Amino acid sequence: MGALLVAILVVPLATSLACLKASARLARALSLTSGAATFGLAVALIPSHQITTALGGWLRVDALSVVFLVAVTFLYATTTIFAIGYVRTGSGPVEARYSRRFFAGLNLFAWAMAMAPVVNGLALLWVAVEVTTVVSALLVAIDDTDGAAEAAWKYVLIASMGLGIALLATVVMYYAGSTVLGGSYELSYANLLGAATRFPPEIVRLSFGLAVLGFGSKMGLVPVHTWLPDAHSEAPTPISAMLSGSLLTVSFYAILRFYQVTVRAIGPDFPRAVLLVFGLASLVLAALYLARQHDLKRLLAYSSVEHMGILAVGMSFSAPIAIVGVLLHVLAHAAAKSTAFFGAGSVIRKFGTKEMSRIQGGIGALPWSGPMLVLAVLALSAMPPFGIFRSEFLIVEGGLAGSSTAVPAVLVVFVTLAFLGLSWFATQTMLTPTPDGVVRGEENAWMPVSMVMGLAVLVLLGVHPPPQLSSLLERAAAELGAHR
Amino acid sequence: MAGTELAPAEIQVLQDLTILVFAPFVSGAIAHLEARLQGRRGPRILQPYYDLAKLFRKETLVPEDASWVFLAGPVVAFACYLTVPLLIPVLTAYPLPLGYIGDILGGAFILALAGFAVALAAVETGGPYAQLGSSRAMTFAALVEPSILFITFTVALVTTTDLPYFEAAQVRSSFGQAIYPAHLLATVAFFLVVLSDTGRIPVETHASTLEFGMIDEARTLEHSGPPFALLKWGSAMKQLILYVILINVFAAPWGLAGSRQLGPVLLAIPIFIGKALCVGAIFAVIDNSFSKLRLFKITEFMAAAFLLAVLAVLVLYLGGR
Amino acid sequence: MAAVGASPSTLTDAAEVVALLVLLSEFAMLRSSLSRSQVRLYAFQSLCVSVLAAFVAATRHIGALYVLMSLSFVLKVIVVPTIILRLVREVRVDVTASHRLGVASMVLLAIVLSVFGVFVFGRLPIHSRSLPILALALAAAVILVAFLLVIVRNDVVSQAVGFFSLENGVSLASLVLAAGLPLIVEVAFLFDLLVAVVVFGVLMRVHHGRARTLSTRALDRLQG
Repeated sequence: MGALLVAILVVPLATSLACLKASARLARALSLTSGAATFGLAVALIPSHQITTALGGWLRVDALSVVFLVAVTFLYATTTIFAIGYVRTGSGPVEARYSRRFFAGLNLFAWAMAMAPVVNGLALLWVAVEVTTVVSALLVAIDDTDGAAEAAWKYVLIASMGLGIALLATVVMYYAGSTVLGGSYELSYANLLGAATRFPPEIVRLSFGLAVLGFGSKMGLVPVHTWLPDAHSEAPTPISAMLSGSLLTVSFYAILRFYQVTVRAIGPDFPRAVLLVFGLASLVLAALYLARQHDLKRLLAYSSVEHMGILAVGMSFSAPIAIVGVLLHVLAHAAAKSTAFFGAGSVIRKFGTKEMSRIQGGIGALPWSGPMLVLAVLALSAMPPFGIFRSEFLIVEGGLAGSSTAVPAVLVVFVTLAFLGLSWFATQTMLTPTPDGVVRGEENAWMPVSMVMGLAVLVLLGVHPPPQLSSLLERAAAELGAHR
Repeated sequence: MAGTELAPAEIQVLQDLTILVFAPFVSGAIAHLEARLQGRRGPRILQPYYDLAKLFRKETLVPEDASWVFLAGPVVAFACYLTVPLLIPVLTAYPLPLGYIGDILGGAFILALAGFAVALAAVETGGPYAQLGSSRAMTFAALVEPSILFITFTVALVTTTDLPYFEAAQVRSSFGQAIYPAHLLATVAFFLVVLSDTGRIPVETHASTLEFGMIDEARTLEHSGPPFALLKWGSAMKQLILYVILINVFAAPWGLAGSRQLGPVLLAIPIFIGKALCVGAIFAVIDNSFSKLRLFKITEFMAAAFLLAVLAVLVLYLGGR
Repeated sequence: MAAVGASPSTLTDAAEVVALLVLLSEFAMLRSSLSRSQVRLYAFQSLCVSVLAAFVAATRHIGALYVLMSLSFVLKVIVVPTIILRLVREVRVDVTASHRLGVASMVLLAIVLSVFGVFVFGRLPIHSRSLPILALALAAAVILVAFLLVIVRNDVVSQAVGFFSLENGVSLASLVLAAGLPLIVEVAFLFDLLVAVVVFGVLMRVHHGRARTLSTRALDRLQG
């Protein structure tokens, strides 16, 4: 089992290094196999009921880690498929250099995001998230446009400052531990969780607040989300998919680790209140902004902010079923958002623009990607039988089981608002007759195939989640203190 | 002779006389030093005395529309400047009987009253430059107030009073006091306040008569004769008073007489003048090193002084020293 | 706390003064208008933090901290300023930073933020054996003023320097709170800083290459 972890550590990194030197075809083949292999390794970890460690304690995986690892690696696998179809294979040196950099960066990015759930301890977690920031900033800027340069600068500035706050949160938590565990100790989860009940409460509160603010800036929580729409819309589409689908979730994972320790130290009331505030703000603001978007990828970016808000609000509910819903939502959102971005990429490629007012008749122009994009957008709006419906249902059910019904009601209202915004887009751009000047037909087979995989997973999660997966989700929820 | 004791009233009068008599001397010495630093021969050190004597012999001219306020202003200011030395530790380390009639804030009020009287007299004249100078002087005095307040708070937090004598005693109590962070910050902040209140670079320049940059100098443009002499004497006294507070309360309160014996009290006079000359030398060096700030940038200077004063209070609040 | 020579309390006072210098240099960065002087102020601030690190290493007898101190000294006082200064020299166009508020207003706002930071951190029940609690409160103030610096400044160099000074504030806070953090972790943090510097440098060049200027006033195309 430990070997699996080491393999997850090594495979994407090695692929990334190889892509720096390999030819375009080899790089694509390597990325494809690496994505599939890493996903396979992650799935292999699902059934295990105990905590797996490797490398003498540097790596540690429990049920919570596996949930996020599966989400991240699934996205890695489908994105490599999409990227093979998306990145133009030209013969010139410019295209070759772009392709080399792109695939090396893609694999490195996936490696960094796979590292975060796997490393042991808050300090290494921070390092992993910092590496993801650095790599993704370079990837956002890889397209040579004004918008990309602007978005990359804003992103790296805001995300780095947020991570500076998160580092402060880590240090403060370390201090809280040092009052119990002495001056010099490893920040591993085992140490922290073991001694958490004796931590001084004020200090832990401060640490959690700083962590939500700091990691929240990378997760896209309002008001520190301002980099998100720009970065997600200006980056190349495969990168946007990974940003929305897995980078945000990795940041959420970091917050959840802090939540785990905080709940054990001071009880769940304060963390839930903090998450509720940020979550509601994100949900409300995103739903309102969704309505006035005219850029396709920005629309999807704001949808990501909304879903991150749903995750935070879900964590603030006290019923265990809500936490199970949150974790299921992590998986389902990864699949749905990536599929939506892939479809958007095909559409943008076909019509040559991101402006929704200039896109008409998507279904006719793209016989496979078009309908699948519509399905993905419906999935994002929590339409059955897709997975997001099930997860949001669980969250709302958990919320209604709690003391107040106001918050779940607000949740439902704003999710509906977001649905309206998204469905307006779907009807205007996809379900209209195709204009004459547009060439019908898919560009290549890779791009729709990636979407098929995403939709298949969504249906699976929505209709009948495999029992092993359900048991994994419940174990992860228990680790987060859901039984309290 | 050294064994005789002075009555407290005599020591108070002696404090006043010290400030009165030596203020022009200190001014003259600073001007002379500044000129020497610039490579010129400079005026005589005792030149201000000759100037005052000359002015007292001249006639007084009053603008047609001015009222009695115009002539009363310099007198009121002079009276205020004679009152303040009663409150502050000029010669002695212990508070004198009249020293309790005002604390640091009281002293600041009296100095402000003096400035107000002069400004009022200037406004009376109706001359444009005098009015310009008055309004500027009042504005900058208001801007400096928050810093003075916070410095007073610092003193209060350290000594639980705001009598200057106790702060001086605190500073004298041990050698390591000099680098207490709050004390350092308060001293530097007060140094900046003195810079602006005595009208030195970078706030105002003594060296030129350019009206557009004048603040304090412009207020006295219309006076002549004995009132003008009182104004000049008064501003020199104000400078020396501020030096007293800077030196004998914050920076270097050593050498003050500890008893009422004649010897130590008389000795305190040259010691104090010596320290004042050192501070004056620092100001002269600053005069020659920096250029005057443009008027709208003076707010930055005030903000810097305010920052230091606030930090001093914060340091004390956090249990530092 | 054993110390050589002078009494421990005097050394504590000296440490407090150095910590004050860290905050004061942050304020000076706020008001300085030349990019070059901003970078030099950052180097000075990093020097102060290194001095405090050496102080902690000496009084707590943590040998690993000396290694950390020398690494961070080389990186933050020498390497990072050199990289940024080289970029500024190459640009040759804008060496003046620009800001949206007047200096006095910025200083007042920064004072309010510092007071807020000091109050929040000063009231915590923290007992540190490395540095006085004042240093932690000042670190919090530095972080808040660094945020202000990034927000009110209009050019890439000021914003980058603002971010780096935020890292200085966090380093100072970690000296107070976590002096015993395992060395390998601290080295990892420093390595991340180095990589972040590289990325910042790359993106600054990209920005300059596209916009022909170091100003970020034009970065308002993406809105809503």
